[in-house]
Amino acid sequence: MGALLETLDGKVDQAELFHLCSRTTPIEFRSGKLESIKDKQIEGVALRVIDNGRLGFATTTDVNDLSGLIDAAIAAAAFGEEVSFTFPSKRENETPQVYDASVANVSEEALVEIGEEAIAQIRTADSQAEINLSIAKSVEKVAIENTSGLKLEEERTTVFLSIEVEKAREGDIFLLSDEAQVRHLEDLKPGELVDRLEEQLRLGKTIVPAPSRKLPVVFTPNGAIALLLPLIVGFNGKSVYLGTSPLKGRIGDTVLDPRLSIADDGTFFKGPRSGAFDDEGTPTFRTALVTEGVLQGFLYDLRTAALAGAKPTGNGYKGGLWGSGGFRSLPGVGMGNVIVGEGATPQARIITGIEEGLLVEAVLGLGQGNIASGEFSNNVAVAFKIEDGKIVGRVKNTMIAGNTYNLLKDHLIALSDSARWVHGTLNTPAIAVDAVSVVGPPG
Amino acid sequence: MEGKIKQAIEASNADYTEVRIERERRSQVLYRKDKLENLETSSELGGIVRCLKDGGWGIAVFNDITQLKEKVKEATRVAQLVAFHNAEPVALAEVPVVQEEVKAHLKHDFRNVSLEEKKRLIESYNRILLSSSNRIVSTNVRYTDSFREVTFANSEGTFIVQEIPDLTLLLVAVASDGPTNIQQGFETFGEASGFEVALDREEDAANAAKRAVDLLDARSVKGGKYTVILDPGLAGVFIHEAFGHFCEADFLFKNERLAKIMTSGTQFGKADLNVVDEGYIPGLRGNTPYDDEGVGREKTYLIKNGVLESLLHSRETANKMGATPTGNARAISYEHAPIVRMTNTYIEAGHHTLSKMLAKIDHGVYAVKAYGGQTMFEQFTFSAAYGYEIVDGKLGEMLKDVVLTGNLFETLRSIDMIGDDRTLFGGSGGCGKGGQFPLPVTDGSPHIRIQNVTIGGK
Repeated sequence: MGALLETLDGKVDQAELFHLCSRTTPIEFRSGKLESIKDKQIEGVALRVIDNGRLGFATTTDVNDLSGLIDAAIAAAAFGEEVSFTFPSKRENETPQVYDASVANVSEEALVEIGEEAIAQIRTADSQAEINLSIAKSVEKVAIENTSGLKLEEERTTVFLSIEVEKAREGDIFLLSDEAQVRHLEDLKPGELVDRLEEQLRLGKTIVPAPSRKLPVVFTPNGAIALLLPLIVGFNGKSVYLGTSPLKGRIGDTVLDPRLSIADDGTFFKGPRSGAFDDEGTPTFRTALVTEGVLQGFLYDLRTAALAGAKPTGNGYKGGLWGSGGFRSLPGVGMGNVIVGEGATPQARIITGIEEGLLVEAVLGLGQGNIASGEFSNNVAVAFKIEDGKIVGRVKNTMIAGNTYNLLKDHLIALSDSARWVHGTLNTPAIAVDAVSVVGPPG
Repeated sequence: MEGKIKQAIEASNADYTEVRIERERRSQVLYRKDKLENLETSSELGGIVRCLKDGGWGIAVFNDITQLKEKVKEATRVAQLVAFHNAEPVALAEVPVVQEEVKAHLKHDFRNVSLEEKKRLIESYNRILLSSSNRIVSTNVRYTDSFREVTFANSEGTFIVQEIPDLTLLLVAVASDGPTNIQQGFETFGEASGFEVALDREEDAANAAKRAVDLLDARSVKGGKYTVILDPGLAGVFIHEAFGHFCEADFLFKNERLAKIMTSGTQFGKADLNVVDEGYIPGLRGNTPYDDEGVGREKTYLIKNGVLESLLHSRETANKMGATPTGNARAISYEHAPIVRMTNTYIEAGHHTLSKMLAKIDHGVYAVKAYGGQTMFEQFTFSAAYGYEIVDGKLGEMLKDVVLTGNLFETLRSIDMIGDDRTLFGGSGGCGKGGQFPLPVTDGSPHIRIQNVTIGGK
């Protein structure tokens, strides 16, 4: 691969080669039974060139004939956008321990057994439940080289487990799910997923009517994504540059309740999204976004940083805001690990203090509503009714809506004292807020 | 290539072996605000092998197609492991052996259009969006084209080579008049057609910009229950998302309780409700002449005269449920095994005019275009791009933040009028399921009127 950059040296202003080799083994169980095993081996390269100050991009899977790739990227650069950033040169960064040899070595058989055991445990608690389960291991090697002299390589491992439990009765289907994504095999705790699912199955047995008015809502760590998504979009340096973030120009202002602190941390030890560098070779950082309610900064990739006159934060990821990876797309601003600071109250005690409200575990229609303005509007997928400090049953066909900036600034009740990883990118406690609009089903 | 594929299948020890090799060439032009964000031409080559051994599925995906024979062995090895752990062997419904080549016929072949010309066109649309109003703060204008050549072969003797074109155009304007009021207007296009689809969209760009600006002054809908009219775009997304996915047999073929809910003959709507999934209508994005199991296209009635008629099937689900494969086993690319998906899905036209549908509504909501949507079994939620209040049978003020929710079965029963104006939309996005996104699909409908719909809001 290095030869390719040598070919380009002197021919163009700058060039960068991104080379991904990944091997993923997804194992699927459907209705409690092993359905398929897949061995997926992907190799692809992406080339960015800057020629006469203009950017061109191309990708290919044909690693043996890269001349076509060079031609395509240079041809695109002829009409490309003028850019003013420079590919980074070598910088030291510690590895956040994202490789575990035991993930690379674990057999398909052993993973199948983990899945079978989790299914058997849920079946013990509820013999009628339908269970779909996926478990996958992945080993990927990312190599980035550029004409600034950078030459980086990192191997990263991931184990992913997702369990979906479905309970169908006359006139009602209750679907719940949980997932975990870890870098090291020893950190995979299927029992924790099973326990949470069993607890929800128990709480959800009774269906109760949902009211239609403004109520306190406790978002569990998993449900908190509904509340946090507009904020995550607002922290994106690209939204700020485009003028679509309400946080634009507000650094130093108190934008959230002083109990809230949020950071993006691509260096988080064994973090599911951690790496020594982002997809542009910029070393990852811990970037404070909000500290005790005060806005501190935004997230940037190389290009947006150059446009905004800001410093790259190591948030140049392929695959959009969620950084779904791969080799195909151009890097853009994406999240590392989003870390929401914990509070001091156990979730159970927050619930005890609520006279009437909802506990929201999962929502449908994430990203619905005008999230640029901070609005969310979702149907609850898994939610429970709280009455006099106790959970009395599950609510269905119910909408919740509100404005994140408003709720997290003026209506925060409490943050729970234990954060956990959810959605493979977010580490958050439960968040309780007052005055969420709730619309129950017709009745 | 043909010889190598046939040899690899010949050498397989599996009970059933299929190979799919895909070659793709694609380009993209993307503008955000006043910047050309991406200008790209890329190429891709990859393959997938799927084997059944002793009734278990093994799959191997790869880019290095010289490894084809080894990958057949690998897929067979993991298939045996699956069979060892699962006492219920998979079998496939019989289908005809096919040997065919399906060529794409493009009016204005986008492969012959230079990247520079594509860029100029998209830049001109972006300029229209940006210059429409000083309240437009940002844009998102994206053009994509893709030309795939997919070779499918299996151990039963089927050998099909298909050319699959796809072109999309997204025009989004973002307007703002202060940090808490940010609105967007959009138009989207997607077809299995040539470059002509992307041409002459100046008026659409102007409409998208105007709508974004109009929404700045629109009122938020008040949460509550309303009689609602969905426009063909939103109704199409509704029938695809909320109902169509329910008809995908892989979702219920191992689940007796769900299968029972979806038994043919069950009354789901009023007698004038007909819902169709049709595998080929010239130019549509969802077109699937042969699916990714080599099964030919069908026109499948999901609901006929208000009654559930058929589900959508793969060879595996059809075999298990005693049905006939419908040509709906689709994969987004060589990275994935086929799963049961829709193609072109729509509600058939009824006989009501929009004005007649509006006439007797005292207070309702007219919801237009889908912004997003998600379903979970019978619960669904959709956000309209915008809407209008309906007062005394007439369209009134523009509304924003229109998010609808409900129970699928109750909502289907509550469709009380179906319009005479069916329209189909390919869009610039696609359908997502089981980690496979975006799959090109088309959906559509006439205007439909629904009683008692919950709309969220403050």
